[in-house]
Amino acid sequence: MKHLVMRREAVLVLLLLVEMAAMQSLSPLFLTPDNLIEVVRQSAEIGLIALAMTLVIITAGIDLSVGSIVGLSVITMGMLWEDARLPLSLSVLLALMVGTLLGGFNGTLITTVGIPPLIVTLATMAGFRGIALGMSQARSIRNFPEPFLWLGQGYVADIPVQVWILALTAVLFHLALTRTAWGRSVFSIGANEAAARLSGVPVNRVKMQVYMLSGFMSALAAVIYAAHVSVAKPDAGLGFELTAITAVVLGGTAVSGGEGGVLGTLIALLMVGFLRSGLTLARVPSEAQDMMVGLLLIVVVAIDRWSRRAGGV
Amino acid sequence: MISKRISPTRFALWRQYGREMSVGVFLLLLLGYFGTTPGFLRADNLRDILINAAPLVIAACGMTMVIIAGMIDISAGSALAVCAVVAGLTAKSGASLPTVILLPMLTGAVIGAVNGWLVAFVRIPAIIVTLGMMSVLRGGIIWWTRGEWIGNLPPSFSAVGRGEVVGIPTPVLVAVGIVVAIAFLLARTPLGRHIYAVGGNPLAAARMGIPVRRVLWLVFVMHGALLGLSALVYASRFSVIQSNAGAGFELLAISAVVVGGVNIFGGQGTVWGSAIGGLLLQVISTGLIFRRVSEYWAPSVQGALVLLAVVADALRTRRARR
Amino acid sequence: MRKAFRITPILAAALLLLVACGKKQTPSAGTSTTNTGAKLVVAVMPKLKGIDYFNAVERGAKEAAQEIGNIDLTYDGPTEGKVDQQIPFIESWTLQKVDVIAVACNDPDAISPALKRAREKGVHVITYDADANAEKSGREFFVNQATFEDIGRALVDEMAAQAGENAKVAIVSSSPTAPNQNAWIAVMKRYMAEKYPKMQIVTIQYPEEDQGRAFSMTQDILKTYPDVKGVFGISSVAFPGAADAVRQAGKSGIVAVVGLSTPKSMREFVKDGTVKTVILWNPVDLGYLTVYVAKAVAEGTLKPGAKEIEAGRLGKVKVEGDQVLLGPPMKFTAENIDRYDF
Repeated sequence: MKHLVMRREAVLVLLLLVEMAAMQSLSPLFLTPDNLIEVVRQSAEIGLIALAMTLVIITAGIDLSVGSIVGLSVITMGMLWEDARLPLSLSVLLALMVGTLLGGFNGTLITTVGIPPLIVTLATMAGFRGIALGMSQARSIRNFPEPFLWLGQGYVADIPVQVWILALTAVLFHLALTRTAWGRSVFSIGANEAAARLSGVPVNRVKMQVYMLSGFMSALAAVIYAAHVSVAKPDAGLGFELTAITAVVLGGTAVSGGEGGVLGTLIALLMVGFLRSGLTLARVPSEAQDMMVGLLLIVVVAIDRWSRRAGGV
Repeated sequence: MISKRISPTRFALWRQYGREMSVGVFLLLLLGYFGTTPGFLRADNLRDILINAAPLVIAACGMTMVIIAGMIDISAGSALAVCAVVAGLTAKSGASLPTVILLPMLTGAVIGAVNGWLVAFVRIPAIIVTLGMMSVLRGGIIWWTRGEWIGNLPPSFSAVGRGEVVGIPTPVLVAVGIVVAIAFLLARTPLGRHIYAVGGNPLAAARMGIPVRRVLWLVFVMHGALLGLSALVYASRFSVIQSNAGAGFELLAISAVVVGGVNIFGGQGTVWGSAIGGLLLQVISTGLIFRRVSEYWAPSVQGALVLLAVVADALRTRRARR
Repeated sequence: MRKAFRITPILAAALLLLVACGKKQTPSAGTSTTNTGAKLVVAVMPKLKGIDYFNAVERGAKEAAQEIGNIDLTYDGPTEGKVDQQIPFIESWTLQKVDVIAVACNDPDAISPALKRAREKGVHVITYDADANAEKSGREFFVNQATFEDIGRALVDEMAAQAGENAKVAIVSSSPTAPNQNAWIAVMKRYMAEKYPKMQIVTIQYPEEDQGRAFSMTQDILKTYPDVKGVFGISSVAFPGAADAVRQAGKSGIVAVVGLSTPKSMREFVKDGTVKTVILWNPVDLGYLTVYVAKAVAEGTLKPGAKEIEAGRLGKVKVEGDQVLLGPPMKFTAENIDRYDF
């Protein structure tokens, strides 16, 4: 089981290398540290969300509300800071809490009331966004102080701050998922929820934690996003859910649950980022880029299916 | 799963159509609430609501089949845009009315066939296929039209969306016809039973000798054709066709189906429920304007009402199970 | 053995991808490398691609590039009007060391750090259509098609002329966070209070970029507020949607529809009298002027303090501070609308 997953990740890395070679042949500027770092920086917010989304999808769930949680927590942060005159650091902490609570709200409806995740998060996607717009009356909040912007625009050892954050959380997620009992229970819920329950896994609690984690990571992404673009807007994060889900499934996590990992997600995130960056450098128009990202997703997953059948798995 | 047998108790109807009826009751409650605002229950307003809901209801019928079969389609909004543009260009080229009706449906069917092939025969999960297809079609439509809107449509085209047959607006008539047809297909034909069986338990269905893959493929093709029809009804109401129409339409259609009580995991539900669900969404959106709800808060009220409908239904079924 | 089986098709596909990309390279091979010095590389970015308005801008930009001759023009941008999708283009162009970046910003502040980095790397930056934060971005000039003030006032004056100075009016906008629309609405409210204190906005609706919703929202407005005498449609999606709803409700000529859009998408409504005037600047000229400004900035002929700039067929164009002014907004009516093909 485990080496099977590793093998898929090895293949993804291979694919990534081929893609990078292709992009380099399109533009000699592609393989420059400046460009590569920039691509990773641009992907960091989605990456944070995609990490948690990987866990959600491994439990055979889905979270469509992440983009709206980004909007609602970022505007909460902004309003607490500007209107309630709280210190910015406290506002950030409260925003992270709000994000976690929103995830918890999803989790409650999913576990306690027993509504399927797709339906719950489809509704809260509209609901949370609406609250963000209503609360802020659609205004945006600007002029954050310089130290805060460092989170999204600063560098540590020539690497952007948010890339460090992404790398660090990715390691934590990977360890939690592969080295702990909690991680095993996440997998077992996705593989067979009834069996997991029978074998004593606290299914509802773990699921609840996974959705709260998704909310927390969305809020974290929201804070970094605000620092990155220097604005807190209620429409921040619009469409993030689809990009994040694309990275997760392209990375080989099965939508039926029980299978996958965060490394694949990260590699897939880079694949999409590099593809877009290389094509932009080569002046391929953006609508063609959209088409190629869609094709990439379908083709890679199709090949995975075919090769599994050919390999007899 | 296929528990369409009428049980002999007094509550037979409630048992069989409980979900649909509870959504219906919810719809009536909302109508009652919004009805207290002047003008809402006037005939011309109800008529507009029905016409505006028609494209959504038609698309929701196809989505119902897809979801009953245990699948999902999130490329529906992009496919709607492609079909709407095809409809407009065909009409402009001076083609005859049957061609103008059939070509968008054919386009939709082809898109559905590709989706269906990837889902049924390559066996990629539907959500992945349609997620990819969504960007392919969105990018493709901009590439193709360069974002130009399609104007100068011939009057015969507008007649499709704005015409009347014996006093009933054509879109409404088409929508009702489709709902009845798909309801019949699902409830009374072998194909319909197969769709329920495939969505309920694909392994068991295969063991029963049902050609699971072919059924799945057909479901996507039919769904695509209905999307084409929906696009035609949608686009022909307007004087110009927006080439990037239908953003978020897929979520609306899925919401309609889900609110209508169709089981998101497949195997259960009816188009009656989805049709009421579609109507419900349109009534909410119109009603909030009539009620003069703050335009900033309107989307969250809408989300909350959808959630309310779903939670109420979840609690109801849970009590019924006890 | 199994392993080999699995990897073969993937490699095959990867090769296919490589070939596909390789093919794509041919037409753009000459342009994908850095500037060779002879030609001025100008990169123009719209707020989003795939709408009539920016197609017209692109046309104007191409016209100017052709006229000037030694300009290598790139025109690209996101397919959705989101600022976070604009930033990667800026970064990429900075890396390519294009000579000038001209951008229509989806958000004034959010785009500024990226523009600042471009400036630091020696790339000239100008904005058009929608400005960036001048101070934070370090952009050199803003090509201003018409100020928010001009547009807002023109819209309100037109409404007052058509629907009367004490009319009740409604606004159909775009998304509730759209910066241009919100800026216009702010001006409209203020100007109304000053000049037509009896005019009243009964509601503002936000149909996003969805024609169908603009249509049904306008229908609902007409019924909820039966005494509404005018509807503003202030986006290129909202205006035709609102006009369609008014026309199909049989209220052409009774309820005035005033707004901003390209003449092309409004021609039908102007012809049948539902809409009397479409207000807009000339987007082709905007693209044209932008490229001329880009060239002048890169060659150093346009410097702070300049009073005017020579721009091809537009002749001498006024410069005020760090803004190049295209001129007052235009009004398209039944008489002149056929003369414009954008």
